Amino acid sequence: MGDNFQNNKTMAPVMMDYDFKVKTQNERSKVEDLFDFEGCKVGRGTYGHVYKARRKDGSDTKDYALKQIEGTGLSMSACREIALLRELKHPNVINLIRVFLSHTDRKVWLLFDYAEHDLWHIIKFHRAAKANKKSVMVPKGMVKSLLYQILDGIHYLHSNWVLHRDLKPANILVMGEGPERGRVKIADMGFARLFNAPLKPLADLDPVVVTFWYRAPELLLGARHYTKAIDIWAIGCIFAELLTSEPIFHCRQEDIKTSNPYHHDQLDRIFNVMGFPQEKDWEDIKKMPEHATLVKDFKRSNYQNCSLSKYMDRHKIKPDSKAFSLLQRLLLMDPNRRITSEQAMQDPYFTEDPPTTPDVFAGCPIPYPKREFLTDDDQEDKSDSKARQNQQQPNTQQNQVQANSHDHGANNAKRMRMAGPNQGNNATGGGQQEFHQQQQMMFGGQQQGGQSQQQPNFQQRF
Amino acid sequence: MAGNFWQSSHHQQWLLDKTDLIRDRQHDLNILTEEEYQKIFNFFASIIQALGEQLKVRQQVIATATVYFKRFYARNSLKCIDPLLLAPTCVFLASKVEEFGVISNSRVMTTCQTVIKTKFGYAYGQQEFPYRSNHILECEFYLLENLDCCLIVYQPYRPLLLFVQDMGQDDQLLTYAWRIVNDSLRTDVSLLYPPYQIAIAALHIACVMLGNESQKSWFAELNVDMDKIQEIVRAIINLYEMWKSYDEKKEIQGLLAKMPKPKPAPQR
Repeated sequence: MGDNFQNNKTMAPVMMDYDFKVKTQNERSKVEDLFDFEGCKVGRGTYGHVYKARRKDGSDTKDYALKQIEGTGLSMSACREIALLRELKHPNVINLIRVFLSHTDRKVWLLFDYAEHDLWHIIKFHRAAKANKKSVMVPKGMVKSLLYQILDGIHYLHSNWVLHRDLKPANILVMGEGPERGRVKIADMGFARLFNAPLKPLADLDPVVVTFWYRAPELLLGARHYTKAIDIWAIGCIFAELLTSEPIFHCRQEDIKTSNPYHHDQLDRIFNVMGFPQEKDWEDIKKMPEHATLVKDFKRSNYQNCSLSKYMDRHKIKPDSKAFSLLQRLLLMDPNRRITSEQAMQDPYFTEDPPTTPDVFAGCPIPYPKREFLTDDDQEDKSDSKARQNQQQPNTQQNQVQANSHDHGANNAKRMRMAGPNQGNNATGGGQQEFHQQQQMMFGGQQQGGQSQQQPNFQQRF
Repeated sequence: MAGNFWQSSHHQQWLLDKTDLIRDRQHDLNILTEEEYQKIFNFFASIIQALGEQLKVRQQVIATATVYFKRFYARNSLKCIDPLLLAPTCVFLASKVEEFGVISNSRVMTTCQTVIKTKFGYAYGQQEFPYRSNHILECEFYLLENLDCCLIVYQPYRPLLLFVQDMGQDDQLLTYAWRIVNDSLRTDVSLLYPPYQIAIAALHIACVMLGNESQKSWFAELNVDMDKIQEIVRAIINLYEMWKSYDEKKEIQGLLAKMPKPKPAPQR
């Protein structure tokens, strides 16, 4: 490194002082010296790799998440992520603890608190249970608490003029056992997306990782700027998915590699749920760049009988419920009419019973499994991984098959369940709530509800 | 990122104390006088400005890059990293943080070569820009470490716009004050004072220069520490005084020669 920089014909400068270099080298801590994380990969995607880590010196026994950013050096998205996370501080936004720069291989590592759960896995768990006609016991107010904390975090980001730009269940983390039990943490903001060219970077990503399900209609019609309203739409989608365990705007995603924002099938899906927007509902739709294509491709009459209330009613959410009324305000087609996070937090849904709780699990046992470690194919015959898998995965066979068939990010990674002292998830801490009063099925007895959408074509992040 | 200056790393970590600053510079000030030190910074601020203009980045990016540069040397001697390398590195990093977009390595290199040759020949003679893009990339890691990953810098431009609006003033005042804010990057004020105070000081100087008496009451009604504003005003006026009798083209080669330089690894 640096030393070969001194042989320059013209000025022969020394770029860096030797003593300075040695001194900073000695002071610099290396991630691998401070943390144990080998073999503990829990996530893999376009953003890089995430490991579950522990301090080597045992000064605490907490779990940490170590994210190794994809590629080398400081990409713009890495710069934005470091720059913004360094400044942001909110209980519902992921907290960047530290940055490690590895000068030898030019890798960038970010250290976060470890979040055991995320909404992608939580929803997947409920879907699998539903398919097996089993119920999951969770507190009545869990969905409400989740939504409230998502809104709280987004309100903080929005009031600092930070747009998330990539909200989806996989980016909503939930803390497991510990002092922050059951707290939502918003993660993985789309840091690199430029305001004036929101779709360009998407085209560069692994096509399978990009999902259009949470994209607001104005983006699909070519809107050139990300806005707060776009984040709100995504929150509406997530809310609906929490209520029904189905992605509300589920759509096959084959031709997704296109860099064109216009996406016919996704729009068709939205209209199939919402109905085709009336002119009075969205006056500015005419100004959208892809409006002409829309007019050419779609017939209003095809969506005559579609409406959000009918869709949600089919999924057992009554159109006169407060949950539905809030959902409708989040999923307004016209971005100018969509409510803000602040308004959403004032919605009567949050004042009616059951109340929201800071621990979304309200002190009840957490029914969801811990994250599994990912191993690469070439390491697959590592000793007891299969044995452990069998031993510790009762009852999730179907779940597993579904997961693997859509496990794009992991290159057919073999999965094995983590062996930990809390395997049974029989946690007790923090429960002030009367367990039996709180407990209820999140998706109470509606196994048939999802029959129309058999394929759980979820995105897989972790 | 906006509107949260009081909780920012800028406010909490990077408003330095004047005596600390002078103490940390002691190594360099044993070799250079304070005025020489300032002239060297003035020169590299010009290089950053020229690089930024050549790359057509916004003034905000240039200002952020200049503050990175100053923050690095607030904690380190000029000899630690050659400022001729750190200057383009700061522009490179700031353009990513400010979402200007990634400037390709080759474009950074061409720009450095062009700018040094065409605009700063008086300092470097016929010499080429001596570094390559891998030097900038290596330097960038050191810069980020020394900035303690604090990359969001609040600038006086936004408060300046708000103040001028509040005064109900014309564009001329804004133009003057804007330029004074640009000039203030050549002083230490961005290390010592919050950006809104720098904006007020710039407005104050602009009003005086324009003979604009009508704003006296606006300043009088401000709830700010006027002593601080006066300190900033003095720092900027001192810069203007220095410029009056300073011919950079004549002096800079001597200053650069005198500047503390990185030492290579000891020969085995």
